[in-house]
Amino acid sequence: MRKNAFFAGLLALILVLAGCGGSGGNDGNDGKSSGNGGSSGEKVKISVWAMGDEAKSLPTIAEEFMKEHPNIVVDVQALPWSNAHDKLLTAVASKGGPDVVQMGTTWMAEFANAGALKDLTPYIDQYPEFAPDQFYEGAVGTTKFGDKIYGIPWYTETRFLYYRSDLLAEAGYPEAPKTWDELRDAAKKLADRGKDKYGLSIDMNEQSLTFMFARQNGSALLGEDGKPLFNQPEFKEAVEYLKGFFDDGSAPLDLGLDTVQAFAGEGIVPMFISGPWMINAIQSQAPDLEGKWAVAPLPAKENNLSVLGGSNLAVFEYTKHPEEALAFIQYMSKKETQMKWNELTKSLPANIAAWDAPLLKEDPKYQAIQEQLRHSEHMPMIVQWEKIAQTYLDSFERIVRANADIQAELDAFNAKAEQILSE
Amino acid sequence: MTIKQKSMQWLAGILLTVGGFLMVLPFLWMILSAFKPEPEFARFPPTLWPETFTLEHYFELFERMNFGVYLRNTLIIVFFSFLGMLLNAMAGYGFAKYKFKGREPLFYLVLATLMIPGQVTMIPVYLILNKMGLTNTMTGIVLPSLVGAFAIFLFRQFMSTIPDELLEATRLDGAGEFRIFLQIVLPISVSVLAVQGILTFIAGWNSFLWPLIIANDAKYYTLSVGLQLLKGQYSSNYGLQMAGSAVMVVPIIIVFLLFQRYIMDNYTISGIK
Amino acid sequence: MKMFTTRSAPYFFIAPALILLFLFSLLPILIALLISFTDMDLAGLADYANIHFVGLANYTKILRDGSFLKAIGNTLFYVVFGVPFVILFSLAIALLINFGKSRVFDIFRAAFYMPSVTNVVAVAVVWSYLYNPSLGLFNTVLNFFGLPDVRWLQDPVTAKISLIILALWRAIGLNMLIFLAAIKGIPKSYYEAAQLDGAGTWKQIRHITVPLLRFAIFFVSVTTLIGWLQFFEEPFVMTDGGPLEGTMSVALFVYKNGFQFSEFGYAAAGSFILFFAIITLTLLQFRLQRKED
Repeated sequence: MRKNAFFAGLLALILVLAGCGGSGGNDGNDGKSSGNGGSSGEKVKISVWAMGDEAKSLPTIAEEFMKEHPNIVVDVQALPWSNAHDKLLTAVASKGGPDVVQMGTTWMAEFANAGALKDLTPYIDQYPEFAPDQFYEGAVGTTKFGDKIYGIPWYTETRFLYYRSDLLAEAGYPEAPKTWDELRDAAKKLADRGKDKYGLSIDMNEQSLTFMFARQNGSALLGEDGKPLFNQPEFKEAVEYLKGFFDDGSAPLDLGLDTVQAFAGEGIVPMFISGPWMINAIQSQAPDLEGKWAVAPLPAKENNLSVLGGSNLAVFEYTKHPEEALAFIQYMSKKETQMKWNELTKSLPANIAAWDAPLLKEDPKYQAIQEQLRHSEHMPMIVQWEKIAQTYLDSFERIVRANADIQAELDAFNAKAEQILSE
Repeated sequence: MTIKQKSMQWLAGILLTVGGFLMVLPFLWMILSAFKPEPEFARFPPTLWPETFTLEHYFELFERMNFGVYLRNTLIIVFFSFLGMLLNAMAGYGFAKYKFKGREPLFYLVLATLMIPGQVTMIPVYLILNKMGLTNTMTGIVLPSLVGAFAIFLFRQFMSTIPDELLEATRLDGAGEFRIFLQIVLPISVSVLAVQGILTFIAGWNSFLWPLIIANDAKYYTLSVGLQLLKGQYSSNYGLQMAGSAVMVVPIIIVFLLFQRYIMDNYTISGIK
Repeated sequence: MKMFTTRSAPYFFIAPALILLFLFSLLPILIALLISFTDMDLAGLADYANIHFVGLANYTKILRDGSFLKAIGNTLFYVVFGVPFVILFSLAIALLINFGKSRVFDIFRAAFYMPSVTNVVAVAVVWSYLYNPSLGLFNTVLNFFGLPDVRWLQDPVTAKISLIILALWRAIGLNMLIFLAAIKGIPKSYYEAAQLDGAGTWKQIRHITVPLLRFAIFFVSVTTLIGWLQFFEEPFVMTDGGPLEGTMSVALFVYKNGFQFSEFGYAAAGSFILFFAIITLTLLQFRLQRKED
């Protein structure tokens, strides 16, 4: 009779599991049925996927949106940055998932190419909020793939120069370096302060750094025909320029310090290039540094183009409620909402008019960033770009660490890039 | 104890103390760092003992995390993991103590599942769950990690040392196979059950990927997912992370201390013999 | 009435676990094997019409990739040094702890297990500090004794060794627990008999404990070998495969070159090469063990 107990137990287990499944399944259906009822004047539920910590502020905005649109219910699901890509993959695989999704600018090409994002080109003229001239040109560029538009800019990011104003002043630079030569010179002077002191941090794992410098030197990266130009003089000079910082000890190799650690205190590395997120990091980790550091647009060669990033909002191809999804995006791209969002999360509005926000307008740091935003371009919007950039890092490492011949290494890299592009 | 034995004891103690200190150093740093204000993380060399004590990270953590819901989901998953452990133990016993057709090939198949990285199978598993209509359900979250080859192999190894005579004797007394398993095999395997119990608890408690992937709704999120959500794309926010890890590790340590007693007590084969 | 006979009993015991494993592990592996013969990427996942059968192209491509071959070399290095050390150290520590008679030794058991439950970010922060080239603790100590700096994570070979030390540190706890549990299963009567014969501690360990732990040593060596062949997390958090691909493991290579770019076919092919290597070595281990018995 004991064995019956075993079977009873097993049965119980199956029932429990099935029970969970049942209730869970019903919950899923609730969403769907209420969604289908949308046409008959009932509430439509749209699901919005957004990433990380910022997404936790989104429900606040969604509340206000729902007040204006009483027939739409917005359900925000926050995804951790670390695994958001995995989560989106499975959503594509199941051809389900969200109605509106936050798309990092570097993911746009991949997901648009896969057909996972809805073509928004026909809607651009219908919604005045989507007009391209509302946004920074670079940000609009990140929404395009091929000749179609797959997203609306949400918030934006760019890279610029962080520097220790006190130490640079001592080195004879009351203002930030303005040209490549000045940057080089300032870095050298700062490195000459003594042993274990450096000028500029060059992150060996930063994918876009060299490409950014190459553009400043006039390289188009990819030619009109889409062929890579990585072994051309413009690109090579940029690599040589960067390597120069390592050669004369202006840039540390394997310092093993966190950016803020090296920036604070006596300023082991008093200059680095990064995005707006470091402002917060410095302010919270090195509050006593206030007044001794500043940010500035990048020094220029032929130009001072920076790399533009950030996130767009896109409509998932498999949505059943495109109109409602667009209404939500419309609300998110309005000037007022963008200002509010900046207030909540400190992220930079893609909408130019929203820069009237007091937080941005009165802070010289943000003014410098806005200046840089006008001179920022995204990396090429092609599916293979990530792979090319990753491949480049290996070449760059061989050039810097193993003193590989620059032209030979770039020839090899260019050939590899051509092969990747042809796949 | 002789003098020699005593000095040997001291030697072992000293060796273990030196080694043990190196082992716990990062752990101590994690726990103590949760009490440091953020600027202290930028200090170099890192401080071990916080110069200023603060509870701000804990306040922030409890303010921003939806603890109630996440904790409930996590506990449900832990509960089912232990049911899964029972299934693993049964399978391990089956492979250890019975001769049956297909035993070897089946066991190699079980082991084979250990040899492929999880990323490769993530999408296929998701598609299967999707076909079964289990996405956005607790069942879908629990099922994929319910059983595992590591545990089955561990149980098989330990249970293969159970003397056959012991089982035969019980069998002659008229006990059924499942009763032998419950009343003889499980009690003498208590030490390995404790080891696997610790592992099962940790895995269930930290479960992250499947709750995230299967849930189309934050209502199935676990504590680990909640913690990951607090991270920005670029920002590190060490204090908050360490406070989160410190909170997460407390139950693990309690379970460890509870279970390790059973690893030590000689309530095993020898006790019964 | 007996519900199942001795003949059918084993199937009842293994069936639940096997059914679940089949559904959520074996079947997915088979699907992944199929994927490895295709060019599936995100576009293919969205629309199966975009998937093409490419035969062995993924395999031939990855085997011709110099970085992949380098990763294989590195992985072998990890395995050759990592596996024996893990077994040796965890066994030695388990024996030492078991040898101790005072209650203090209970604390050690917990202490040596702590690395397994330490958050990986904390691990990375502390170890980065220990390994820091100019200011780190290790080099400071070396300098104190008049020894030169060691380039812990900057030299391709040294970096491999540094990662092995770190991984060893993380792996000891779990395997030590397994050994402790196994040691406790050895009947006391064996030792009592040996003591009567006048065997010392060392002799008892060599002639009773270690031989009777064979089943546990076998388990630890099989799972450790599998784990080290899939070595991933340590290079991922500490070095990202550098310097000059010196710490790149096969698993990390597959991750960086396949999954990051959603090239599922390519990534699957890389994983299956690893899979076949692991399964060959594991079967070899089983053969050897059976010979010993």
